[in-house]
Amino acid sequence: MYGMIHRAMRQMVQEELGEEAWLALEQKLDIGPTELLTGMVYDDALSLEIVAEAAARFNLSVDQTLEAFGQYWVRFAGQGSLSSIMKFTGQNLASFITNLDRLHLAVGSAMPGARLPTFSTLENAPGHLVVEYRSDRVGMEPFVKGLLQGLMDRFDACGEIAVVHRGEKTILFDIRYQDKG
Amino acid sequence: MLLSFSEKQIGALFPAFLHIDKQLNISAMGPGILRHLPHVRMGMPCAEAFDIVNYDTAQFFQEGANVQPVSLIARDSDVHLSGAAIFHDAGCLLAVRFAITEDMFADSSMDLSDFGHADPVILSTMLIVLQRAMLEESQANAIELAHERQRSADLLERTSRVAGYMAHDFNNLLSVIRLNTDRLSRQFGKDEKIGKLAEIIQEMAARGSEITQSLMTLSLQRTDTRQPLSVDQVIQDNMGVLDSVVGSNITLKLNLDADGRKSVVSYSDFLNALINLLLNAREAMPMGGQIALSTSLGVGQSKSHADGDADADMAASGSYIAIQIADTGIGMSDALLARAFEPQFSSKPNGTGLGLASVRNFAAEMGGDVWLESVEGMGTTAYLHLPVARTVAPLVAAGSSPPNAGTPNALGKQRILLVEDEPYALEALVEMLEAEGYAVTACTSGEEALRALAQNAYDVLLTDVLMPGQNGTEVARDACIVQPSIKVILMSGYVPDSAALQPGWLFLHKPMESAKLLQLISG
Repeated sequence: MYGMIHRAMRQMVQEELGEEAWLALEQKLDIGPTELLTGMVYDDALSLEIVAEAAARFNLSVDQTLEAFGQYWVRFAGQGSLSSIMKFTGQNLASFITNLDRLHLAVGSAMPGARLPTFSTLENAPGHLVVEYRSDRVGMEPFVKGLLQGLMDRFDACGEIAVVHRGEKTILFDIRYQDKG
Repeated sequence: MLLSFSEKQIGALFPAFLHIDKQLNISAMGPGILRHLPHVRMGMPCAEAFDIVNYDTAQFFQEGANVQPVSLIARDSDVHLSGAAIFHDAGCLLAVRFAITEDMFADSSMDLSDFGHADPVILSTMLIVLQRAMLEESQANAIELAHERQRSADLLERTSRVAGYMAHDFNNLLSVIRLNTDRLSRQFGKDEKIGKLAEIIQEMAARGSEITQSLMTLSLQRTDTRQPLSVDQVIQDNMGVLDSVVGSNITLKLNLDADGRKSVVSYSDFLNALINLLLNAREAMPMGGQIALSTSLGVGQSKSHADGDADADMAASGSYIAIQIADTGIGMSDALLARAFEPQFSSKPNGTGLGLASVRNFAAEMGGDVWLESVEGMGTTAYLHLPVARTVAPLVAAGSSPPNAGTPNALGKQRILLVEDEPYALEALVEMLEAEGYAVTACTSGEEALRALAQNAYDVLLTDVLMPGQNGTEVARDACIVQPSIKVILMSGYVPDSAALQPGWLFLHKPMESAKLLQLISG
């Protein structure tokens, strides 16, 4: 995965558990700033090692941590250098998810080698979305669920996210939501 | 008509499209117009909502035909649209898009939905924004890496310093142990039991010394001793190594004619310098050839000194040992020669550029000089000049000594001014040196030594380096001014900064062996 993911995980650990916790994690995995280079592609195994090590420190399972991280990632991207492009991608939940592939198209051009997933909006009704997630990565369902939850938070919505189908490379998410306001 | 599109499909391609009829009224519009220009309504005259920049609106249908570029500005906002006007029988399709800049990504109320899927401008603008973001991140990465590097360097530096201090102190203790064990052996060694115990203590001290060597290595301290070495002898002793360095397809011819003269150098550094010069020569002869390694004695200024681009230490001493390494290789251009000694410069694909640079550092540290001469196609000769070590200080004749000075060797003994702030080491050294027949004046500080130098003449100054107050190198410098013929031997658990040393000074690394010290004094 890209180093930016690692940076986000670092920030999450630092915010939740403090600077020392991240330093201890770095020491345990024998990593440092060279494993946090934004534009560098790292082996997924390293990214998952970081997640697993963070999970142990959060006292959560790896899946729970992945979900929390997915949620955090949206906030991280929305605050950092990607904030303007995040804003431009969509200004409500439905348009953002619908435009995610277009964002990923640009990201893929800017970061060659990125293995980006696709999101297709199969149903788009007020308060209801059915989204198909497709990726050659496995085990990312909790992360994607967290991402969708993070997007609901971003657009000040609340609701339920359910997995309605799991294929070999696809997962179908049913999202029912309403504005908090 | 080959193709026909619904308004929805056109809206997907051009979300900000407009259609105007022949009466110049708006007859259709895309979802982007609805979202961002809500005052624009169907049936409204186009001129009421927009200025058509590149047409006279009244003459629109008279001036336009087929497909023409078009640019619009909304009348009551700063929304700009541009694209193509596609004229047809029933009116004109304005296939336009919102004008967008990078800045609008953060500030505008527009998003990707307001732009067509195949819009190349939006993709390239997104790429620019993304690359800007990546650049921002990379700058943050670079700052982090620089901080990390600094942190590591600081930590290493602190660790090195601590290790250096520890090694120094430990070496001093070991030195006291060694010297006093030597005393013990000398005085009571005939007693078998005591002799055996002294041996054990010496062995343990030697092991302790190995530990301090490791600490010194960790603290990046040099641990070698500078001593007068016969250049010819070192070369002869290492012929096996040097032969293997040049390889089997190169003949190494020797002509050693330095008359066994010595230079005060570090053994390992001298050998490294020779090896680096030979490697350089070997690399110049990939197909084989011959290297002539010769030594001779010279007097006066070396070439480099004569050119005035080095200090004149060696020239001042007058005589030097000239080592030449001449190859029959491809030679070097003037441009290459000019850069040959630059650190990290190498003409070889796998060269580190450190070899010749380290030779230059070595030569400079030893008060010598090194340079290359080359003819392209004919070969290169490396010249390494090292100052000849001064011989034992000549005895100062009566009447030529400093004011109030006693005459050295007046009683047939060499006079040693010994400076050591560690009392047990001082005591042991005094006893050993006196037992060897030297006349020793013992001082526990640099200040005391300078007072002694003002009153008496000495053959040898033997001084510790790190001491409270005046340190050993300062005492040595002053001693050489007051008594230029004095032989200087520095001893320390630290290797002093080479910049503080003068050519010809000897250096002995603590913990020292009595025999080695006596050899340096008498050598």
